[in-house]
Formats: sequence, structure tokens, C-alpha cells
Amino acid sequence: MIKLLRLELRKILTYKTFWIIIGLYFLFLASGIILAELIVNSWVTDMNKHLPIPLPHVNIYFFPNIWQNLTFFASIRYILIFPAIIIIILITNEFTYKTIRQNVITGMSKKEFLLSKLLFILLLSLCITVILKLGIFILGITHSEVTSFSQIVTKSSFISVFFVLLFSFLIIAFFFGFIFRNTGLAIALFTLYVLIIEPIFSMVSKIPSLHLGGISHYLPVNAALNLVEYPYIPILKTIMGLHVQETGSLMDCSIPMLYSVVLIGIVFVVMNRKDL
Amino acid sequence: METVLSIQEISKRYGRIHAVNQLSTEVHKGQVFGLLGPNGSGKTTTLSIILGLIRSESGSFSWFGRNPSNESRKRIGSVIESPNFYPYLTARQNLRIIADIKDKSPSDLERVLKLVDLFHRRNDKFRTFSFGMKQRLAIAASLLGNPEVLILDEPTNGLDPQGIAQIRELILMIAKEGVTIILASHLLDEVQKICTHVAVLDKGNKLFDGNVGEVLSISDSFELGCAEMNKLGKLLKEHPQFLSLVAAPEKFIVTFNGKIDASELNGFFYQKGIVLNHLAERKRTLEQHFLELLHKNQ
Repeated sequence: MIKLLRLELRKILTYKTFWIIIGLYFLFLASGIILAELIVNSWVTDMNKHLPIPLPHVNIYFFPNIWQNLTFFASIRYILIFPAIIIIILITNEFTYKTIRQNVITGMSKKEFLLSKLLFILLLSLCITVILKLGIFILGITHSEVTSFSQIVTKSSFISVFFVLLFSFLIIAFFFGFIFRNTGLAIALFTLYVLIIEPIFSMVSKIPSLHLGGISHYLPVNAALNLVEYPYIPILKTIMGLHVQETGSLMDCSIPMLYSVVLIGIVFVVMNRKDL
Repeated sequence: METVLSIQEISKRYGRIHAVNQLSTEVHKGQVFGLLGPNGSGKTTTLSIILGLIRSESGSFSWFGRNPSNESRKRIGSVIESPNFYPYLTARQNLRIIADIKDKSPSDLERVLKLVDLFHRRNDKFRTFSFGMKQRLAIAASLLGNPEVLILDEPTNGLDPQGIAQIRELILMIAKEGVTIILASHLLDEVQKICTHVAVLDKGNKLFDGNVGEVLSISDSFELGCAEMNKLGKLLKEHPQFLSLVAAPEKFIVTFNGKIDASELNGFFYQKGIVLNHLAERKRTLEQHFLELLHKNQ
């Protein structure tokens, strides 16, 4: 395991493209988190024009709700697509450069090869989650009046949920990379699916006359991203009647985890059957 | 002799085309085994099968007397088709990855880089290398950790004459150390110069399999000339091994049944009172043999 991960890191750590995309990702992530409060409050100001009793200013960086709010903003498709693209590039590069052939000839099994990529996805998910956790903690400490330890940790389970969310999302990218093998094609189809096909399909599925029920919750990307469905802003619940989660529950993770298992399984079978 | 590789009737089809058809052969320890055939004859497909890149539809093969596995591949160094490395990594970093996969110590990197004359470029990115340098790096990678078998697929393809000479020298040097070498090539000259054994492939079929020396020693014709050509013609027909005669200006091109020695032939005519002024043995080269085999296959 350690050997496979070390091997994978040797391939990646001096790869400039990797660092550029990771840099862009954290740039977008940070801007998303910083702009979140502005966006939410400008929206509240807008709402206030139509309400008899104006709503108070929302502080999204308050413990404990900050866990839920910021993991929500961190799981916006447009931001998450960056690490997913890295995964696709790292996988399809191996086919483009035919290095997967070289790896196998040299004495790696296809299974070990897939495992090394999975281990890297696990590590990347973990690193991003830890960095986000640290960022949330710092923002929370500086923006809230902490009264007790329990106030800080109450909703911190959302960060574990975010880890599962990110991992499941990256597994979808892993799937696209190994199935299509071509960098341009895999990125194009993945982006198309995540940003256009699934959102349109879930919009259509919500038309009552189609009787598709809550199917949109079960689509692979939605199932993952809906683990943190809304930020914890009281008006969403009270005025708009949305089902806002109270706690991050690992129970909800079963569907995305099931998807991950199935997608990984398909990749293993396809790779075993197909020639390199 | 110890069998390194044994192939039993492997086949691979691409659509209707038989890339490899019921191929069987054996490679023994210490051989320099040539896989000879024109482009598209199934050489690379065969090598890809025995290296686990593609699956054969039927048949089997074994390495070192055992079923093929990762562990057997770690004992083999190979260069297949084009050199495949990470372009954004340096020569050293690329070799380090290979060494890691093979469970070999990185201390061997320096030796192989020096062997292919790339030590001074070890910290340059693979992307910046010329084709010849890339090919040399691929050979360096295959030599990491002293493999027992070396598989080379068209190792001199695309190299300049100097590069070709360098690589051939290197192969011969490695062969002298007792490493078994399997070399695929469409160049007869190359196989003739380097190999001890050869299997000739065409359209996925094995046409011939044997010792290069044996193939080369097949002599089937002589050029004969003397002052009295008519008398020579009559006498020839009395020779017990005589087969056929073609008249050329001032000489005959004569074929005999079985093996025959030039001195023996000379003695035969001298006894009969004819002094030859021209006697030349026409060795059938591997090239002729190869072309004949291919021709028969059509």
C-alpha cells in the first residue's frame, strides 16, 4: 500500500499541471468561502424588500453552523470540478503517454495500478478535507463568540460528510478517466455530465406531471453533493420550507458510497478485460 | 538447457485478422533469440502477450517454468515499441519509478545511465530528449537491476547509423554476460548480426524456427568455370549429387543435393582431368531464405 502510494506521488509531486490546477482550486474555494457571506446577505437584502418584517443580517461564519455552511459552499459543482479534472488528467495521462503499459511490463499488475490511483484519490480527498477543516476552524474562531467547546464541535460531523462527498465525486472522475482513456474526451464528457446533463435531468424530473418523484436525489453526482444540501440559514427552512439538514449524518452517505463501490467495480472489470 | 520462455499455441485475432496464429516456440537460457518478420507479422502482438499487456484468445505461455505473474515480469527488462515515460519527469525520476516497481535499489540508476551514456543528462526532463536519447533511456530502464531476460522490440528503429551501432554493441555486450535476449526486428541484417536463434513470422504464422548458424550454412549452389565448358557440363551430370545447372556467361551455376564441400568438388573434377579456373560457393543467406519462406507462405 505504502509502496503504491509512494510510487503514485513520485509521478505527481513534480508535475506542474497538478500544482496549477490545485492552486486554482484553492483560489476558487477561498473566494467562494469569502464571497459566501456577501452573496447570502445581498440575497437577504433582496428578500427584505418583499417582507413585512425585515430579516436580520446573517453571519454564516458562526459556530456551529459554519461547518454546514462552508462545506456546502465547498461542494459547489463549479469548484469541485477542479480536483476532479486533476484526477482525470492523472489517469488519462497514463494512457496518452502509454506509461500504464510501461508500468505493467515492468512488473505492476493492473490491480495494483488501479489501487495506486484509488489510494491517491483517498489521500487527495483527505488533504483537501483537512485543509478545509483548518480553514473553517480559523474562520469560525475569528468570527464567533465561542462560549463552549460543544458549540465548536456540534456540527463538525459535516466535515466527515464532506470527505465522503469529495471522495465519491472524485470516484466519478476516476470512472470517466479509465473508461474514456482520452484526456480531452474524458474531461469534456465529465464536465458535460456534471454541469449540464445531470442538472437538466434533475430539473426535468421535478416536473410533477412526470411522476418521477425524488429520483434526482439518486443520480450519482446529486447523491454525493446533496450530502450537504443547503447551508444552515434559518430563512431557508422557515420561509422557503426547504428540508435543511440539522446534522451531518454518515447514514446519508450510503448511496454515494454504493455508487463508488459500483463504479470502482466496473473499472476493475473493464480494465481486466480490455487490452492495454 | 534451461527453458526461459515456453509458448504453446497462442493466438490473437483483431477482427478477421490473425495477428498471431497458434504460435509455439521456446527460448532457452543464454540465447539471443530473434523474432523476425515484416511489419504487421505479429511480433509486437506476441511480445505484448508474453508481457501481460494483451490477452491471448487461446494457448498458454510460461516464464522460467512457471505461470506468468508480476514477479516473473520483474525479472525481465523490456523495451516495447516507442519509449514510454513521463515527459515532465527527469530521466532519473523516470528510472526511479521503474526501480520502485521492480523492487530494485535506486543505487543501480547511476550504472545504467552511464551504460547508455545519459548520465550527464540525468536531471533533464524526458520531454527535452532526442529520439535516440529516449530510446537509450528505455534501454537503461530495461537494464535496471540486472534482469535475467531482456526483451527488445525493434530497438534500433528510428536511430541514426551511429545510434544503431551503439545499441547493437550494447546488446552484444549484454548477451556476453549470459543474459537471455529476445529481439524482435524486421531487419534481417540485425538478426543476422546479433542473434543465435531465430523464429520467422509472417501474418501471425511461424514459418521457421532454429539456429541462425544452421540457416546460414545451407549452401545450395556453386559457380563453376573452366576452359572447356562442354566437357565440364557432361562431367557434372556424372556427379552423384548433381541436381541442376544454369548456364551463365563463362560459368555454370550448379546446385547439388545435400551438403557438399568446395574442395571435394574441386578434387572430383581434377581427378577427371579438368582444371577449374573459377569455383565459388554461393551461400544462401538468411535474407534469401527469409524471402523464400515468405514467398511460400503466399
